[in-house]
Amino acid sequence: MKRSPLAVLLSIFFIFLALNVSIRQAVLFLVGIGMGAALAGARFGFTTGWRNLLESKDPRGVTGQILLLGLAAILCIPLLGAFPELTAALGPPSVSLIIGAFFFGMSMQIADGCGSGTLYKAGLGVPLNMGILPLFALGSFLGSVHLGDWLKLGQTEPVGLVTTFGSPTALLMTLLGLLITAGIIRLWVGKGKTWIDKRWVWGAVALAILAALNLIIAGQPWGVVYGFGLWAAKIFNSLGWFDPSGNMFWGQEGNALRLTQSVLMDVTSITNIGILGGALWISATANDAGKPLTSQQWMIGLVAGFVMGYSSRLAFGCNIGAMLSGISTGSLHGWIWVPLALMGTTIGVRIRRRYHF
Amino acid sequence: MAMTSSSKLRIAFWVVLAAFITWDYQVSASIDLRNEPPLIAAGSGKPVSGGHCSMAK
Repeated sequence: MKRSPLAVLLSIFFIFLALNVSIRQAVLFLVGIGMGAALAGARFGFTTGWRNLLESKDPRGVTGQILLLGLAAILCIPLLGAFPELTAALGPPSVSLIIGAFFFGMSMQIADGCGSGTLYKAGLGVPLNMGILPLFALGSFLGSVHLGDWLKLGQTEPVGLVTTFGSPTALLMTLLGLLITAGIIRLWVGKGKTWIDKRWVWGAVALAILAALNLIIAGQPWGVVYGFGLWAAKIFNSLGWFDPSGNMFWGQEGNALRLTQSVLMDVTSITNIGILGGALWISATANDAGKPLTSQQWMIGLVAGFVMGYSSRLAFGCNIGAMLSGISTGSLHGWIWVPLALMGTTIGVRIRRRYHF
Repeated sequence: MAMTSSSKLRIAFWVVLAAFITWDYQVSASIDLRNEPPLIAAGSGKPVSGGHCSMAK
């Protein structure tokens, strides 16, 4: 599809949202389009960056991600300190976080896309990622249904650096943590490597600004997984296959309310739709259908997509909700998520090689 | 020009997504436009009420 008719369609949807839902949701849709365009335009793949680091000792992708985390923290942490109505992405350190992050890191390599990666690649028209999206949603829903049982295995209260230490100290601690991470990567890759790639840099700058805009407008950090789970929960609920009243997660007042509301009123859903739209807009000039897959690769990829959805709920987010939003808003759970997901990734890249993805 | 299976899947994906959003809009509670959330949450003084993946509840 050409860009002009796409721009018309996206504009019509924007006007529909502004007139029939709320101005805020319409503006968040635009933010989502920007996120999708930045992710797809820069090919800002969290999964690929990690894989390149482990397999080729190529630090360019991970450098872009550290830059994104640092810039987002510089923008978001002072905002959290200045505006008490804004919330951080605070997940509880728990057994479920440890297990979930590990399996998420593993499955995202097999599926070749994390939460945002699946979205933007589906928007670009990559067949496997389009197929994965509904299974990701199903997994995310089932993970949220079972979350209460997982949390019984052990959890502590969420730790927010901004509320604990104040925003200046929280920002310093976060930037120091990122600097140490960069130092460890430097030791791993050795000398003589290229660290900077223009597309990763502009992608990081654009995404950091858009993540901060999401926080300012919505009052909460950027997330992906909640929206997917909500979509599947609404389908199961309407079919009479799921009763949310007795469930730990969906029985909570806010979640139960969102089950009765249109997904167009949900913050995460609207940015997810925007990301798909933004990537579709990019695909008009940069079509990327990916290489054809065998039946076996399709099956493994789809199963990995389901596991990714389920595990992202246990881990309190994906690369966006837990890593980017968690770390850039001073949540301890983001710092726990990263090494566990990296451990899972070391297994995931081997499985990926085994099945010739 | 014959349509590839990838193009067909792509059209099916967007049709299903549009159908889901339309169906959901029809069956969900009607939206109270008089009770719109503030355009910008920062500085509004209103607590955030959205769902997020980091939430345990």
